[in-house]
Formats: sequence, structure tokens, C-alpha cells
Amino acid sequence: MSRFLIRTFLCALAVPGLFAQQTEVVLSATSSAKLVLAMTSPKVTGLDEAKVGTEFTAVLKRDLDETGVIAMLQEGLPADAAPVKAWKEAGAQWLLSTRFSRAANGDLQLEASALDTAAEKGVFTRTYNANRIVPLRHLAHYLADDLVGRLTGEKGVASSRIVFVRQLSPGVKEIFQVDRDGAGLVQLTRHGSLTLSPTVAPDGRLAYVTYKGGAPEIWGQRRKDGPHEKFYPLTGAGGMVSTPVWSPDGKRLAFVQGDRRGNSDIMVLDLLTGRARRLTDGNGISTEPSWNPQGTQIAFTSDREGGPQVFLMQDDGSNLRRLTGEGLYNASPAWSPNGAMVAYVSRFEGKFDLFVYKLGEGKAYQITTGVSTSESPAWSPDERRLVFTSNRFGSSQLFTTDLSGRQIVRLTELSACQSPRWLRGR
Amino acid sequence: MRYGIYLVPAAIVLTLGSLACKPPKTAEEIKAETQAAFNEGLQAFKDGKARETNPYATAKDAKAIPHKIQGWNDGWDKGAADKAAADKAAADQAAADRAAAEAKAAADAKAAAEEAARKAAEAEKAAAFRKAADAALVSIHFDYDKSEIKEKDRAILQGISDFMKAFPAAKLEIEGHCDERGTNEYNLALGNKRAAAALAYLKTLGVDEARFTTISYGKEKPLCTEAKEACWSQNRRGEFKLK
Repeated sequence: MSRFLIRTFLCALAVPGLFAQQTEVVLSATSSAKLVLAMTSPKVTGLDEAKVGTEFTAVLKRDLDETGVIAMLQEGLPADAAPVKAWKEAGAQWLLSTRFSRAANGDLQLEASALDTAAEKGVFTRTYNANRIVPLRHLAHYLADDLVGRLTGEKGVASSRIVFVRQLSPGVKEIFQVDRDGAGLVQLTRHGSLTLSPTVAPDGRLAYVTYKGGAPEIWGQRRKDGPHEKFYPLTGAGGMVSTPVWSPDGKRLAFVQGDRRGNSDIMVLDLLTGRARRLTDGNGISTEPSWNPQGTQIAFTSDREGGPQVFLMQDDGSNLRRLTGEGLYNASPAWSPNGAMVAYVSRFEGKFDLFVYKLGEGKAYQITTGVSTSESPAWSPDERRLVFTSNRFGSSQLFTTDLSGRQIVRLTELSACQSPRWLRGR
Repeated sequence: MRYGIYLVPAAIVLTLGSLACKPPKTAEEIKAETQAAFNEGLQAFKDGKARETNPYATAKDAKAIPHKIQGWNDGWDKGAADKAAADKAAADQAAADRAAAEAKAAADAKAAAEEAARKAAEAEKAAAFRKAADAALVSIHFDYDKSEIKEKDRAILQGISDFMKAFPAAKLEIEGHCDERGTNEYNLALGNKRAAAALAYLKTLGVDEARFTTISYGKEKPLCTEAKEACWSQNRRGEFKLK
């Protein structure tokens, strides 16, 4: 699997001057808040030790490093057989041991346990069984997710996936899926046409826009793993339709309908009745709807007051209010999974950067810092990271960042990617 | 024995008498014989025999059967007359067929010429349409994040309006496009706004708006992919495509 990983510790100090007009504070991720975890070498019987090293141990370390809550102890490690006290003195708070064995039928078993080095007592024990077709790296993802779950109360997202759009040739874009670590690329649509704006329901159902019939149409899956079928418009020509977004309960789709006078409105399509309802009032452009986690409010972009700005409204169109204050171009809102933040992009001096608006504080924080254009933020399911597109290495590619903007990871080496969406894998 | 002398002449007399006294033929018989001779004469003609071969004319009793001679000759003459009539009819038919064929060929040629002329006219019209379309359907351009029609593009839209009026059957799709700056989704809405601006302007020039469809491709179909203004300004465009 080709995978290219970059940790970029951006020089945050050089930039705040430039962005002072938009930025209040740069979020800081303090490593002291992370749990320091050390890992003994896996005990392996019945399979290749080198393979476990590359396909499990290395993957697990990378996974845990990206969690944002666990720091891997990398240096000054005691010998595997050293007493717990030695690990504690080396700085480890938890000590993780793993043991692989193979059953007679070829199935794999992984026993993992973690010890609190201070209390010298077990904090985590779990056994994973896998048949031949489950790759070792998936076991690493499962273990990383469960360790995070044990630590924070919410499962990690190592086994999550990212759905996105990729250009195959000029005028032809299709929807793809890739594992969070850049492995397991799968093509999800084959329309041979412009196919855009994927959205994934909590149960995995896909919806998107395709131009396969000439004019844009919303397509998607009515049931889990079902066929892709046309959702809207069911009859006649729909004009410009774009940007479908599943409601959190997966029963409705917010989308955008443009009219021939140049207005674009946020609509909501009820999948059960097939009825579409207009929420905005034909006042210029309203687009990029994003639901709050309760499905009661929608954030969106509108140029009703001049340039594009982020607004909020109830899911019936009432209680409209502007969210973003500063900057001339604020767009692409993404409501966080827990509802307390809205990520968006803002343009300053020709570059687009990611910002996060904390609703409780009424303040916006800058995440990326003007190195190049960063677009299309989407939240990780655990709300700790954002996936986005950037042209920092040329053609638009996928990256993830933590909320400090200091730990930016390149997701894939694929070029011409856009519109990423992040979803849980299991 | 002496009776024998009488018997022989008696027999001769009887015989001659009987011959001389043969009863005359009835009219029906003569008619039948005449018809038979007629048929023979007709057949003789069909068989290619000459009129001089009438067997009854040279028969010993020719003088006694003038009706047969006449009948045979009539039959032969009838055959000859029939043939002449048939030959003439065939010749007439052939002539008529020839004339009809000639007339049809002439008509076909005329129709073909007319069709060719019509096609040529159509092709000329299509060529004129294409030429007019190529000349008129020029892209217009927009400022960044704007959808107002620029002063310098008004002549292009006037040309498109003239084209639509000159070709009342023409239908157009107006495509709105954007440069790469800005979000994919916002640019789709902006492209729709640009296409709508072009539509509204064409409407003010008096073209029926039902003859236009609008579509937005946002920033999804750039003409040029370099990250500089020279390229972006080409991409912020409205295109006009025949439907």
C-alpha cells in the first residue's frame, strides 16, 4: 500500500500577524494532556514476526499518535522483560502488551492488555479474533480505537473511512472511499460523468450529485448496501441541484436548488414522502447546508449580505442569523459531531484557510495558516480532527489536521481530490 | 347365262345411278365443313404454311367444295389478320412502355435534381447556421465572485440575440463556470447565478427565455488549470452551447 505520511509542524508564530484581523487565538494542543503509552514487542507464534512488525505494530503506533489523546513513548525504552517500574521511570503511563497466535483452522487471535504503570494494575484487556481475510492493519485499528475508548469514553476513529470525489479525466469525476490511514482505496461510483458532493448517512447509505443525464441530479441509496437510484428530481428537469447532505437520522436530505433567476435555495427532501420543501427565501445564493447533530438546525453559506458568509437557521427556515463576522469570504460550514463547533473556510489575501467557530464562546479560531489554500473541512467522527483538501503539494489532495493545526497529515498521494466526508468504519 | 348380259349394264346403271343420285349436302353439313376447313386454314397459318398450299383448291373435287376452299382461305386470312393485330398491339404496347419509361426517367431525374437542390439548400442553410452559431456563440467573462454582465460582453450577447432571432428554431444551453478559488459548492451556485445573468440579459434583448436552458458547472470544468489570474479569468465564463 502506497502511503505517504508527513507531519508538518507549521510555524504558527510567523503567521498570527498576518491573520490578526480574523484570528483571536490559535488552539494549542499540549502534549502534557496526552497519555504516554509504551508498547512491548508483540509475542508472536504461528506467523511471521516481520509481517506483524510492519502491518500491525507500525500501523498501531501511527494510529495512536494520530488520536490526539495518546502519545507513544518512542525513546529510552526498557527491555521488553523489564519490570513495570522501569517502564514507569522511562515515562510510560500505560504499558501495552500484545500476543498473536494462530488457531488450528488458520484463524488469528490477538490478545491485548494494558497496565497502569503507577498503580501496577490492568486497565485494559481485550481479545480479537480474525479470519484470514481480515488484514493485520485492521486489528491495529480496532485495538487503537478500543484503547482510546477506554481512555476517553468514546471509541477512536482509527478504523474510520473517508469518502471523497476524485477526477479521473477532465469532466469525469467519481466517488471513492479510502481508509483513514490512506489504505484500501475503493471506487464507489462509475457514472463516467461529473459526479460530486458525496454525503454518507449514519448507516452508510451514500447520496451525491451526478451530471450523467446532462443536467445535475441527486442520486443515492434508499437502503443500506442498496442500488444507487435517482432521488431528485424524480420527474422533469430540476435545474441546478447540488450539495445533498443527509440529516443525522438519515431520513431527510438537505440539498440546494438553483432557479433561473440566479438564486440558490436550501431545500429539504423527505425520502419517505418524496416531498421537497424550500427553507430559504430566494434571496441570492444559499448553499452548503450542514446539519447540527440533532437535525434541528442547518448552517449554510449565503451571499445575501454581499460576499459569502456562514448563516444558521432552524430546519424549518426560521431564526436565520449570521454566524461569521469578519472576512469577506467565509464558506463551507461543517457542524461538528457534538454540535459545539462549526468549521468553515475563510479567504484572506487570496488564500483559503480552515477556521473553527466555537458556538459556546462566540469566537472563531484559525486552524491552518496560509501556507496554501485549504478547503472543504469535514469533521472526524470523534471531533478531534478535520479532513480537508489542500494544494500545498500541487494538485488538490486530502489531508487531516488536529485542531491546533500543528499535526497535519497527508492522507493519500492521490491527485485531484475534493469534498471529503469522514465516517465511522464500524 | 343370257341374263348376265343385262346384269352387268344394270349394275353399272345402278352404280352410276346411285352415284348420280347421291343426296345433296344439308346446310349444316356445309357449315360444319366450312368451319373445319376454316380451322385447318387457321392452323396452317399458325404452322407457317403459305396461302397457296390450300389443299382443297387442288383437290380432285375442287369444284364441288368451293365452301371448303373458301373456309380454309378465310381461316388462313383470319390467322394472318390476328397475327398482324397482335403484332401491332405488341408494338403499340412496347412503344407505350418505352414512352412511360422515358417519362418516369425524366420525372425521376427531375425529382433527384430537386432533392439534390433541396439538400444543397439545406446543407447551405446548415452551414450558414453553423457559421452563424460559431460566430455568435462566444463565451462571456466575469469578475471574481461576480455575476454582473460586463460592458465589453454586451456586444457578444447582442450577437447571440441576433443569432436567435435569425434562427427561430435554435435552442441554447447557457453554462456558468467559475475559477478554482472558492468552495466547490459555492461555485456551483455562483455558476448558476452567472448563467442566470446571461439569460436575463438575453431576455431584455427580446429573445424568448423558453429557448434557453441554464446549467452550472461551478469550478468543475476549467479551461485552464494554472493557479494564476491569466488562467482564472478564462475560467470565469459563460458558455453558449446549441441544444
